[in-house]
Amino acid sequence: MIVGAWICLLAPLVGALLVTLGGNALPRRGAAYLVTTSVLVAFGGALTSFIALLGKDPEDREHISTAWTWITGGSYRSGFAVLVDPLSTMMMLIVSGVGFLIVAYSIGYMDGDREERRYFAYMGLFVFSMLLLVQGGNLILLLAGWGMVGLSSYLLIGFWHERPSAIAAAKKAFVMNAIGDATMALALFLVIKQTGTLSFGALSDVHGTAAINLVALGLLGGAVAKSAQLPLHTWLPDAMEGPTPVSALIHAATMVTAGVYLIVRTHVIFEAAPKVQDVAAGLGAATLLVAGLIALVQVDIKRVIAYSTMSQIGYMFLGVGLGAYGSGMFHLMTHAFFKALLFMAAGIVIHSLSAEQDIRKMGGLRKLMPRTYWAFMIGSLALVGIPPFAGFFSKDPIISSALASGAYGDVLWVVALVGAFLTGLYTFRMLFIVFWGEPSAFVREHFHALKSDVVGVSMGATVGVLAVLSVIGGWLQWVPFWDPVDTWLETVAAPLVSPSDAQEAISSVLAVALGLAGIGVAWMLYAAKSRAVPRSALWQRLLEHKLYFDEAYDGAFYRPAVWLARALGRYVEQPVIAAGTREVGEDTRDLGGILARLQTGLLRTYALAIASAVAVIAIVFVVVK
Amino acid sequence: MGPEIAWYLGVSAFLFAVGALGVLLRRNPLIVLLSLEIMLNGANLALIAFSRHSGNGDGQIFALAVMAVAASEVVVGLGLVVAMNRKRITLDVDRMNVLRG
Repeated sequence: MIVGAWICLLAPLVGALLVTLGGNALPRRGAAYLVTTSVLVAFGGALTSFIALLGKDPEDREHISTAWTWITGGSYRSGFAVLVDPLSTMMMLIVSGVGFLIVAYSIGYMDGDREERRYFAYMGLFVFSMLLLVQGGNLILLLAGWGMVGLSSYLLIGFWHERPSAIAAAKKAFVMNAIGDATMALALFLVIKQTGTLSFGALSDVHGTAAINLVALGLLGGAVAKSAQLPLHTWLPDAMEGPTPVSALIHAATMVTAGVYLIVRTHVIFEAAPKVQDVAAGLGAATLLVAGLIALVQVDIKRVIAYSTMSQIGYMFLGVGLGAYGSGMFHLMTHAFFKALLFMAAGIVIHSLSAEQDIRKMGGLRKLMPRTYWAFMIGSLALVGIPPFAGFFSKDPIISSALASGAYGDVLWVVALVGAFLTGLYTFRMLFIVFWGEPSAFVREHFHALKSDVVGVSMGATVGVLAVLSVIGGWLQWVPFWDPVDTWLETVAAPLVSPSDAQEAISSVLAVALGLAGIGVAWMLYAAKSRAVPRSALWQRLLEHKLYFDEAYDGAFYRPAVWLARALGRYVEQPVIAAGTREVGEDTRDLGGILARLQTGLLRTYALAIASAVAVIAIVFVVVK
Repeated sequence: MGPEIAWYLGVSAFLFAVGALGVLLRRNPLIVLLSLEIMLNGANLALIAFSRHSGNGDGQIFALAVMAVAASEVVVGLGLVVAMNRKRITLDVDRMNVLRG
């Protein structure tokens, strides 16, 4: 079991290192196959851990294996340890499993890129970082994985480094994530100060209301930044500058789910700070609404899906913020399936249309690529939460948990239902525009179907597997009839809310009805075109500017910082620092000039100086004696 | 027993003072070197006198070492003086001030 976990953690790293060291000695395809295999090996390791854990008693499902003592300082020490428990094995399976499919898909998608090897080395590193994050046996390793995920995402978002926009997006993602890393590190400092250790158990020893709230807020800050929730979400849509499989990896298997994992992992501290927990749920609700609204007006196919990710992560935050940990994690899993499916299907569309991403230029693709159409359809239905697709089983328990959480929960419940309607609307707006109608002139000119060589097989087969998972993945749990996921996670994080059957039923019915209503409205506006799309200049502008978040941050932080730097340069650096160093140099030279006069070059002066000095010393010696 | 140690020290101090004045006042490098030797010998005399006074041979060994160093120094110094003379350089220490700062 432990061996499986170590293999799972280290295999992708070994793959990435081999590709890095192999360099040009490795054939391009060879690098791709190597990393794909290494992630598959990781999945095998995760699977053996999972099966071994399954055979144990529920109480005996937490195992830590420490390889060596990593950091020692005073009485503080941390080991390089992996943790195997129900939560981490679940994440291991998702990360390595979906990660494997995405890396395998990349073999086709990245075929012919000039820097394929670098790409696959980064992918291996990314999967390793995420596995370190979820498997780390203490908070410091979690933070290390957290930072490395940020680094890998920076490298991959900026993979096409000849595009200035990609570099800007990578920097933005890194900076936004660094804010979260900083608040998280501060929270951990506080934990060390109070308890002297960073094991997960230390969190229950934090005492004092202020300290508990601060630690919880710090961790929430990290989670919000990594999971792209309001108000630190602005990096996510820009991160679409990376290759499509990278978007799939960031959105489905790794990175953005880390925040949800963090809250579940450290739920002790959040339960001790109910106000912060409410903030988490509120932020989730606000994000799902805002992201759903913005997604309505986006014209880039990947950005629409990106905003839908934000919105779905909002649901997960809502769930775990209310204490519905099992539901949140279950939605994380099904979301990994259908979001990877949507991205990869969109990737095939982009691939077939010579890298065009603007949905206004697409249309009528249903007839040209029927299998992709059906894969996209399955992903969309799962996203909207239409039974029997995966999203239905995982999203509805979150919504019903909101209904079971008092007056504050009722507000969130309404927001979540509005979100369900928006999900149907924006998802099917995209689907109808891209796939229905007659092929546009652009499509007729640029379309070329996938060939059934390695490229086509790697892209087609992985999408097929994910399509199947998006259908059956949700059947794993149907609250309140059977709930293996909740039971599995119970020893790690027992849920705080238990909605009644009536609340489950009414939430499900309403959510599905509103989702269908969203699809219906989308059909009316974009497929049947029986009504014109309602236009409101104000809303249009507001949403196209993404509610002016970027502009606000620009004005609040970027411009003042630039202004301050200019002012300091002009009024402090020039007159004080630059002039000051010049002054020091001049003074030293002047002093040297004065001292140089002592060097007369006359032998007798020197002799006299020596003789008189000796005389003075002798006199002093005699007098003092 | 010879005279008191004070007499020896008196002669030694006189020799040292004469030598020091010679070093400080004379301009000819040859005379400066010569005065330097007188200073060294004054010091040697004091060393030997103290050695006899305390019945300890260390001072005499010091004196021998000083003589050896003085001999080497004179070799170099006289060599320099001869070389300067050959090059028609005026033998005046006050005019040799190239190292002036």
